[in-house]
Amino acid sequence: MRVLLVEDEAPLRETLAARLQREGFAVDTAADGDEGVYMGLEVPFDVAIVDLGLPKLPGLEVVKRLREGGRRYPILILTARGSWEDKVEGLKHGADDYLVKPFHIEELLARMNALVRRSAGWSKPLLECGPVKLDTTAQSVTVGDQSVDLTSYEYKVLEYLILHAGELVSKSDLTEHIYEQDFDRDSNVIEVFIGRLRKKLDPDGSLKPIETVRGRGYRFSIPRTA
Amino acid sequence: MSARRQFSLAARSLLAASLVLAAFIGLTGYALERAFENWAFSVLRERMQSVLYSFLARTDISVSGKILVPEVLPEPRLERPGSGLYAAIYGKDLRWESPSAMERELPFEDALQPGEMSFKGPIRTNVGGVYVLSMGVLFEARAPGGRDARVTVNVGENQASVLRQIKAFRETMWALLGGLGLLLLAFQALLLRWSLRPLRDVERDLGYVERGVAEQLSGRYPVELAALTSGLNDFIKGERDNLRRYRHTLGDLAHSLKTPLAVMRGLFENEDNARRLKQAGLEQVARMDEIVAYQLARAAKSGHQTYAAPLPVLGHAEEIAITLEKVYARKGALAEFDVDPKACYYGEKGDLLELLGNLMDNAFKWCRSRVLLTARPIVHLRSRRAGLLLRVEDDGPGIPEAQVSEVLKRGVRGDERVQGHGIGLSIVGELVASYGGELKVGRSEQLGGACFEVVLPPLGG
Repeated sequence: MRVLLVEDEAPLRETLAARLQREGFAVDTAADGDEGVYMGLEVPFDVAIVDLGLPKLPGLEVVKRLREGGRRYPILILTARGSWEDKVEGLKHGADDYLVKPFHIEELLARMNALVRRSAGWSKPLLECGPVKLDTTAQSVTVGDQSVDLTSYEYKVLEYLILHAGELVSKSDLTEHIYEQDFDRDSNVIEVFIGRLRKKLDPDGSLKPIETVRGRGYRFSIPRTA
Repeated sequence: MSARRQFSLAARSLLAASLVLAAFIGLTGYALERAFENWAFSVLRERMQSVLYSFLARTDISVSGKILVPEVLPEPRLERPGSGLYAAIYGKDLRWESPSAMERELPFEDALQPGEMSFKGPIRTNVGGVYVLSMGVLFEARAPGGRDARVTVNVGENQASVLRQIKAFRETMWALLGGLGLLLLAFQALLLRWSLRPLRDVERDLGYVERGVAEQLSGRYPVELAALTSGLNDFIKGERDNLRRYRHTLGDLAHSLKTPLAVMRGLFENEDNARRLKQAGLEQVARMDEIVAYQLARAAKSGHQTYAAPLPVLGHAEEIAITLEKVYARKGALAEFDVDPKACYYGEKGDLLELLGNLMDNAFKWCRSRVLLTARPIVHLRSRRAGLLLRVEDDGPGIPEAQVSEVLKRGVRGDERVQGHGIGLSIVGELVASYGGELKVGRSEQLGGACFEVVLPPLGG
């Protein structure tokens, strides 16, 4: 999952970014409103976190411009004031959720995961496609009753595929949503991950969960159960 | 404020009065002058007529038919050359002129029919403008067979004397009218000073309040200003109360932060165990967070409601419901409304949003899928302003009977795990109290969960 973090206060931005990276997110940060809008329009994020009190361009305006620019990914706003007037204004401008500072990072993670899931059309934190179950809170995967051991990048790829189960996902989609901006991208790596995932999820070749659409990308082909 | 300064009340009033006065005096003067002129000329004519008649009365005809001009003229002025009053009789063989008319070319008539009269003037002559009254007269013969004599009698008068009169009148009249006008203006100015004095008093008293010499506008003001000054007093009081509250809140905040700060300093100075330090430090941070949130909420509510405009509950409730339905989308909860469109809140918009937001957020958090908002105006017969009933119900687990009284105890608890104990509800409690209202907690009859009811009483009556 690729996340945009727009927060002007450096210590908070850095702590949050580090924690989000540890949780498996690809994080791009912006320190002011202008930069936030620029990045938010350039990069296909899965979720954005926008502080309301930003230099150069207020957070509300950032949210408004991203929405006007046609970006549909969920946006969570952070506010220090916590008045209902602010919350109502924020959601009116197109944000999807708010969090009042100071907050627990666990709360932020839970809200972000819920927003990403919801925007992909999942209502519960447990993503189920037939025998394959991916628990977004525990970041664990089981096939049938067997738990599957995945590296963090393998997990990221699988999570993205299952979130968009049934949809065509191109290699560049995967690299863009899994790596941060400055990462050196090599599409061969994705092929390697897919190969390993196929082996781990479907050791005997009976399930065929990931379909290759020649020249275009991949599709998680087991239909969603819930 | 406009860039150009407005005319002062006194200037407006004086300007209007001067214009009216000028018009009034001008018209009056003109009318008086015309009337005097008419009168002066009719007097002139009457005088000339009486001279003419008395002249006629003394004039006679001789037996031979000769006109006998009186030896003694009826007006001594007729004797004096250049006196301005002239007489002349012209007949068939007769041309008589009064001594005053000697050597002057006067436009006298000499051939009027008997009984015919003419009045002319002013006619320009070598002695100035002259009025001439002429009459044709027939003197009948005294003896039988004698001859009748037909003559024209003229009386002329120079217009100079009348013009002098008119000029004198005009000068006197304008002097008097002008004086009267100035007097009226001066009186008007005095009157204005007198009637505007209460306004200057208010200004002076406001100055006292500003400088802190006085608490309130305490003078006795005329009835027209009473509403204004009592309104100002309300504002002053409201401002003072606000200031006091901010000061208290600030003081409370600073003092209540000192304890956790002291604890943390102690920890950093004395605790060497990193794990224990972290845990105790986090505890203190959580405590400080609670304190700040609580005091912020107290400071945010205004409680300022003397002149608040009515805010319809419906629109604001819809905004909150849309927000919350978005935030709690994962739950699929929906808000139902039973809101009277006439239900209004008299206060700050922020306060209304806090009330609705916190109550409905609490309901959304604890409900299974349904939240019901009820709003009604409370109208008493004699109240100036309707009160408001707000009720928020949910279909969640509700609050156990035993805990209800605890929920109603005001103050910060910040325990988000128990319904009714969150910081949001303590804000609602503070707000309702500052508006002199009442907060009731119970079980929802309709939905079976918790029911929070806020009653803001009507005002006045």
